[in-house]
Amino acid sequence: MDTNATPAADQRAEHVLEVDSVVTRFGAAVIHDRVGFKVTRGEVVALIGSSGTGKSVLVKEIIGLLRPAAGTIRLLGTDVWGASQEQLNALRRRFGMLFQDGALFSSLTVAENIAVPFHEHTDLPAALIPPLVGFKLALVGLPPDSATKAPAELSGGMRKRVALARALALEPEILFLDEPTSGLDPISARAFDRLVRVLSDSLGLTVFIVTHDLDTLLSIADRTIVLSGGKVIADGRVDAVMKLDAPWIKSYFSARA
Amino acid sequence: MSEAGLWIRHEVEEGASVLYLTGVWRLSNLAAIADALQSLGLRVRGQFVLDGSRLQEIDTAAGFTLYRHLAAIGCTTTTVSVRSFDGRHERLLALVHERMTCPPAASRSVHRGLTRRVGASAMHVWDLLRSQTAFVGSVALELLTLFRRPRLFRLKETVSQFETICLDAIPIAALVTFLIGVVFAYLLGLQAQRYGANIFVVDGVGLAICRELSPLLVAVIMAGRSGAAFTAQIGTMKVQEEIDAISTLGLSPVQVLVIPRLVAITIALPLLVFVGDLAGILGGVLVGELQLDISAVTFFDRLHSVLPMSAPVVGLVKAPVFAAFIALIACRMGLLVSRDARSVGENTTSTVVQSIVWVILLDAIFAVVFQRLDI
Repeated sequence: MDTNATPAADQRAEHVLEVDSVVTRFGAAVIHDRVGFKVTRGEVVALIGSSGTGKSVLVKEIIGLLRPAAGTIRLLGTDVWGASQEQLNALRRRFGMLFQDGALFSSLTVAENIAVPFHEHTDLPAALIPPLVGFKLALVGLPPDSATKAPAELSGGMRKRVALARALALEPEILFLDEPTSGLDPISARAFDRLVRVLSDSLGLTVFIVTHDLDTLLSIADRTIVLSGGKVIADGRVDAVMKLDAPWIKSYFSARA
Repeated sequence: MSEAGLWIRHEVEEGASVLYLTGVWRLSNLAAIADALQSLGLRVRGQFVLDGSRLQEIDTAAGFTLYRHLAAIGCTTTTVSVRSFDGRHERLLALVHERMTCPPAASRSVHRGLTRRVGASAMHVWDLLRSQTAFVGSVALELLTLFRRPRLFRLKETVSQFETICLDAIPIAALVTFLIGVVFAYLLGLQAQRYGANIFVVDGVGLAICRELSPLLVAVIMAGRSGAAFTAQIGTMKVQEEIDAISTLGLSPVQVLVIPRLVAITIALPLLVFVGDLAGILGGVLVGELQLDISAVTFFDRLHSVLPMSAPVVGLVKAPVFAAFIALIACRMGLLVSRDARSVGENTTSTVVQSIVWVILLDAIFAVVFQRLDI
C-alpha cells in the first residue's frame, strides 16, 4: 500500500473543520485557552498531547456533546454550537465517531449494532440492510461469523473494528477516532492504522485522530497538532513537528529512542 | 428518461455490455439505485464494462450494491472491468470489490421449540440453585475463617453498609408499616364495629403487625432497596474488573464484599422490623382514636394485656433469616454479572424477584413450623 499518496489531491482545498479560539473551563481549571486550527478535506490529522490536556474533551466539543465556554467550532460548514436541532441532526449523519472503548450497545449483536444507523437515519428497505451490514463488516476486516456475536464476546481489537464499521455506516465525510489503537497489541494496532489509511485514501475520508500512539502518528498522519498547557504548541507535518524545540515534543518523540 | 435511466444506462458497444453510471450514487439514493439495477434485467453476456464518465459521486454502500447485483447475475472478477472513473472513485470501487466476500449477516434470533425452551429454563433454574448452594457453602467457610482470624473482619465497611441499609431506610420502613397499620385497623374496625367489638381491633392489629405484616413488608422493602443495591454495586464492580483486582491483591471477594453486607443487613433487618412494629401499632392507635373511640391509653393498656410476647419475638426471629437470604441472593447475582451493562440490569431485576419470592416462601414455612410448635 502506498502510504505517501496525497489523499484527495484532486479536491480543492476546503476546510471541513474549523476550530477558533475555543476556551474550556472545568470549575476554576482552564483546559483549553483559545485553541484554534483548521482541517482540510481528505487530511488525516492526529491530535497529540499528554494525558489530561483535554484532547477527548476537544473532540466532544467538536461533535456537539460538550459546550465550550467560548469560541466557535464549524464542522462541515455548520456552526456546531449555534445550529438548530434540525441542523445538528443533519450534521450528525455526516460524521462518524469512534469512542475510546468502542461504546458498542451491549444488548445488541454486532450486526444489530451496525444496523442501528441504517434503521435510524435512512429509509432503506429492510431487505437491503443485512447485506450492507455484512459488507461493512468485511470492509473493516471482520469475519462474517462475528455478525451474530454479542459485543461482550469480542476481543478489544474486534470491538474497535465493529465500532469503526458502525461509525462508517452512513458513509461519513469526516471520521473522529478517539485513541483507536489504545489497548491493542502492536500487530492489531498497525493493522488498524493501515485500515484507516486505506479507507481514507479510497473513500476520501477526512480523519481526525486523538492518539498517544507514536506509530500511528508516524505511519498514517498527514499532519499533527500538539496540545499542551491548554494551547496548540505545534501544528504541521509530522517530520516538521518532530524537529521543533519544545520540551514536551522533544521528550514525546524521544520516548522510544 | 425512465426512472432507471436516472442512475444507470445499459448500451452494447463492440460486443461488450457497457453500464453508464449516472448521477449521485450515495446511500440516500440506495433504494432507487437498487430498483434501477433490478429493472435493467441484466444477463451475463460476455464482458461487462462499467463507465464512470457520467458519475458525480459514489460511496461504498452504492458500490457494494452494484457489485452485489453483478455477482448475483453470475459475473466474475474477470468479466467486469471499469473505465473513465475519477481516480478516487476507482480506488473506492477497487476497495469495495476486494472486501466483498460476504454472505448476508444472519440475524441471531434462532427459533426454539417449546419443549427445548422449557427444558432450557429448567436447567437454568437447576444450575442457579446448585451454584447458589455452593455459594452459601463458600460464604459459610469464609465465616468460619473469620472466627479463627477475627482481624479479617472489615468493621468499617460493615458499619458504612449498616448506615445505608438501616439508618437511611428507617423513614421508608416506618412510613409503609404505619400506613399498613392504618389500613388494617380501619378494615378490621369496619367489621368489629358491627358487633360492638371495637376493642378487639387492638388484639388484631397487635398480632398481625408484629407477627406477620411488619417482618414481611420490611423484608420486601429491603429486597427492593438493599438487595437491588448489592447486586448493582457488585455487578458494576465485576464489569469494571474490580472483583478480579480484589482477588489478585490476595483478598477474598467474599470477605471484602459479601460478609460486610451479610452481617450489616442481618443486624439491620430485625431493628427495622422493630421500628415497623412501633409504626404499625401507631397507625392502629390513630384509627382507634379517630374512628373507634378507643383512646391511646386504652389501646396500649389492652395491647399490654392481650399481645403475647411471642408475637413480636416471632417477627424478630424471622427477620434475620429473611435478611440472610436477601444478602446471599443479591451478592451472588452481583458476582454472576457478565461483562456487559445489560446483565447488571437483568441480574438486579432477578435479585428483587428471587428475594421477594424467597421471603414469602420462608414466611409460609415459618407459619407452618410455628403452628406445629404451638408458638
